[in-house]
Amino acid sequence: MEIIKTSSLIKDYDLGKLKVRALSGVDICITKGEFVAIMGPSGSGKSTLMHIIGCLDRPTQGEYYLDQELVSKLPKSSLAGIRNRKIGFVFQSFNLLPHLNILKNVELPLMYFGMSTHKRREKAKQILDSVGLSDRLKHKPNELSGGQRQRVAIARAIVNDPSILLADEPTGNLDSQAGGDILEIFDSLHRSGNTVIMVTHDPAVANRADRIIRIKDGLVEDGDLAT
Amino acid sequence: MAISLRESLHIGIADIMTRKVRSSVTILGIVLGVMCIMVVLAIISGMNASTLSWMEERGGASKIDVYRNWDYDFSKGGYASLSLSEVTRIREMIPEAKALNAQIDIWDALLRYRGKDYPGTAFGVMPDYPIAENWRVAKGRFINNLDIRENSNVIVIGSYVARDLFGTQNPIGRSLNLNGNMMQVVGVMEEKVWISEGGGPWAGNVLAYMNEQSFIPISTLMNKFGGDKMITSMQVMANSPNQALELQKKLDGILLNIKRGKAVFRVSSAQEQMEQMKQNAQIFSMIFILIAVISLFVGGIVIMNIMLASIKERTREIGVRLAVGARRIDIFTQFLVQTVLITALGGVLGIVLGFSILDLVSGFLKMPMQANPNMIMAALLVSVGVGLLFGIAPAIKAGNLDPVIALREE
Repeated sequence: MEIIKTSSLIKDYDLGKLKVRALSGVDICITKGEFVAIMGPSGSGKSTLMHIIGCLDRPTQGEYYLDQELVSKLPKSSLAGIRNRKIGFVFQSFNLLPHLNILKNVELPLMYFGMSTHKRREKAKQILDSVGLSDRLKHKPNELSGGQRQRVAIARAIVNDPSILLADEPTGNLDSQAGGDILEIFDSLHRSGNTVIMVTHDPAVANRADRIIRIKDGLVEDGDLAT
Repeated sequence: MAISLRESLHIGIADIMTRKVRSSVTILGIVLGVMCIMVVLAIISGMNASTLSWMEERGGASKIDVYRNWDYDFSKGGYASLSLSEVTRIREMIPEAKALNAQIDIWDALLRYRGKDYPGTAFGVMPDYPIAENWRVAKGRFINNLDIRENSNVIVIGSYVARDLFGTQNPIGRSLNLNGNMMQVVGVMEEKVWISEGGGPWAGNVLAYMNEQSFIPISTLMNKFGGDKMITSMQVMANSPNQALELQKKLDGILLNIKRGKAVFRVSSAQEQMEQMKQNAQIFSMIFILIAVISLFVGGIVIMNIMLASIKERTREIGVRLAVGARRIDIFTQFLVQTVLITALGGVLGIVLGFSILDLVSGFLKMPMQANPNMIMAALLVSVGVGLLFGIAPAIKAGNLDPVIALREE
């Protein structure tokens, strides 16, 4: 079953006089349970593609179906709900809120979902336990190592059982040891049926994926199922 | 469905706690503004209470005064004076009045008793004087109608006069000399006391001068003391404050009639004066409230700026919240609630501080002050209002951030 399907995605950025085309007709298709890496040099449009897939941004033209739902035409106000329920983000720089302890960081998506305090606390504890951080619940992010922080970020990304897990250079800020641990977690999440999409420029990381989609100059160069 | 207000309050309190120094600096303007409002309201309510008690002491709200109209152009003819028979006629025309007194001043009064001199003020008055002035006789009796009819040589003296001339002796029945006329003391007035709160030129017993006064029958003064003594002022007491304004109008008409349309007298009522005082107090209040509002406005602008700066600084946080599913309304609410929390906290601190410095300020400004619970409500409402007003712009700015741009922010 296709979890992601895009057709002729075009994204233009209006920089005053200059119009920049970041995506010039991207067609990709990702099935449920796949582990896909998106690769491309900087400026290739892979970040833009990731933003659109993550519903942080909308395409100028083209269609994007997420989980059979046409989300490219949805108003921005509805995208927040889509992000909340269907997408889990893992960023290169972790993006944890520094003033909240890790339990509260992980609770965040559930809070915006509207879950009761008690229920979301239980769920967040359970998820943090699964990434091996149950003894650090009250710690602030800056009291943890990079690898631990990224594990918190992963816990936050999967706490609301999203349809896709979207990781942007998740090992970029980590040493190889910690990076390896994080990739292990992604592998195991993939094995247990999660759809993982990882943006990276590191071939060693990309090679762990089922499939590599290469983006260049705003187009899919190779790796799409259709090609 | 936005996140609940409780959730926003939680976030807001946590934000304030993690940024204690910034929050306390932010709060300062509001604390001072609210404090200012508290003190101003206390001054105003203190002044009102003091004015009312002053009016009460001076005959209450039912009093009506008739005196020379200084606005009248006397070159057009007419005299601001009445004969005793005219006054008697007026009294008959206003039977609904509780009391009517006419009086003539003897400014150069000199009282003498057994070689002791007492330079004071003496008045020729009518029997209703104690009612009109709300002043009781302490010893003996006041001047009565018989005294008026007979031009009796009787005198009622103030408490200071009695003390200074007679010492411990009972003055009743004794004779003293008033400007060459032997007068028999028939009564001593009660001591008048009205202590003004505060100090300065108003310190002490404001009504002490009244205790230096003496009273004789107005007819005795007019007929036996020589000179062209005429009645130039009258005090009338209505039965109730409600009737005072009506009686004032009626008196005005009667006097115009007697004086053939010439407005040589002015009739004013305590009611009218009170309205005037209220108006003056209102102007005064407006000025002070304006100052307080300006200080709150400045405090609000400071808060708005700090919130705007803080949003700039927290762009990344907002981006993360948006990425995990926060809606614009969630972000908007989060920042609005935080601003309102800060101003409300400032309001509470301002109230506490305002109350604690009230005595200090009251002593320093030498002004009577009065605090009441309504002021707390007002101050709290105002501070929350300031938060809502000045929190909107930062909250809109935060809510309108684009998630992609916000996440890119370093």
